[in-house]
Amino acid sequence: MSERREPRMVWVRDLWTIRLHWFNAVCWALLVASGLAVISGDSLRLAPAFWASFVQNLVGGNAVVITGHGLVGLAWVIGIALFVLVRWRGVVKPFLRGVLSLTPGRVLNDLRFTVVTLARLFGLMKQVELEPQGRYNGAQRLLGTMIILASVVIAVSGLYLFFAPKLFSFAASPLFGALFRTALVVHAAAVFLVLIGLVAHIYFAVVEERESLEGMKSGYASVEFIHHHNPLWYEQLKREGKI
Amino acid sequence: MLADITRCINCKACVVACRAEWQTPLGYSRDWVKEVELSTADGFPVVQLFPGRCQHCDDAPCVEACPSGAAWKRADGMVLVDDELCSGCELCVPACPYEARWLNPETNTISKCTFCQPRVDEGLQPACVQTCVGGALKFGDANDPASEVSRLLREKDWVQLTTQEVPGGTSHYYHTGGAPLPAEVLPRPVGQHLQAKILSDVVNPAAGIGIGGMVAAFLGAGVKKIIDRRNALAGGEEKGHE
Repeated sequence: MSERREPRMVWVRDLWTIRLHWFNAVCWALLVASGLAVISGDSLRLAPAFWASFVQNLVGGNAVVITGHGLVGLAWVIGIALFVLVRWRGVVKPFLRGVLSLTPGRVLNDLRFTVVTLARLFGLMKQVELEPQGRYNGAQRLLGTMIILASVVIAVSGLYLFFAPKLFSFAASPLFGALFRTALVVHAAAVFLVLIGLVAHIYFAVVEERESLEGMKSGYASVEFIHHHNPLWYEQLKREGKI
Repeated sequence: MLADITRCINCKACVVACRAEWQTPLGYSRDWVKEVELSTADGFPVVQLFPGRCQHCDDAPCVEACPSGAAWKRADGMVLVDDELCSGCELCVPACPYEARWLNPETNTISKCTFCQPRVDEGLQPACVQTCVGGALKFGDANDPASEVSRLLREKDWVQLTTQEVPGGTSHYYHTGGAPLPAEVLPRPVGQHLQAKILSDVVNPAAGIGIGGMVAAFLGAGVKKIIDRRNALAGGEEKGHE
């Protein structure tokens, strides 16, 4: 009888980072569901009309949806801001250093990696050589950069949309209203951009690389998985004596 | 609402009554009387008087343009504003072809004629109708054949302030005594702020294509993965049999 070999695991993520990820996910689910229900005007809404009426009727009107959306958004901003402040050196700074793609050369490289990875899902470009990747591969870097930048835009525009009508007299200066309308467009555009990326994020986590999803629950990743997908990270972990 | 312009004497009691009823700030009013100077075929000057206000459109463009649902249409046809929901963003202002909406500097919300909905709900007439000295303004239920409004609609010729560009029906009728409507009182085309145009014509269609395209692509990838796995299993079984 052959004995089943347990995979070698390495601890890669602390409990607070895991909690932050799921806090972020729950906030996003609530914010997208309520945000799509806030926009009621036929010429402005993206979701079908039934969604806005369903949610508004469910909770007792759009005023409740707007307040709820604003409060969850505020909790999201405060939660992430606190994490960034408290874990800046240990988690956030190394994460940003690893994930941000800000130079044209790096963006192009990451774009190439992303295109080839997506093509391979459909059995294409299998012969194309890909550079070995670190903790975050090119697609994750592109997605991560986009989500981080979009999140800042979403937070700033969302805070203005929520507080400006309460704090400023729009009649006093046309600038306040113009900023509000612009914030509305920018807020929606940034959210939609993230949603486009989230489709890929969720597919890879749930279908292609379930190990990543497990890692986001337990904090541990299989050494074999890292060796196969992230060889540069594997070498780094080896150098650091963690595996 | 009916406005018989042949009975209007330009006393502006309707404007005063509206401002008193709604305590509108100085320089602002929910209704007005437009004076249009024309001349007859033999050169005599004529002034036509058009009492104006929100026309309570059947398909109100302001309702479509309002992001929060603050602009809404009641089942009886009144187009209203929910102050609690209104942010004062003014996206609805250029959407109104009758220029009947404005940002109230005291409330920071949009103001417009509501046909005095609270008064009407109490069984009263709108303030402007009650005060109209010449009896030019009439208000009532056009669906009730016994109402005065229905009788007048049957007895006289009435027109609505519509054009080919703004063709929708309204809840406001005018009797001009057969005179054509001057261009000055006709609605302007429905407008949009630049931001509303970007949202409706660029951001939303792009988002629909982007999100829909990604979902379709990854559904396809998932289906391919299932097929590949089945093929691989079938291949393994065949090898086992050999």
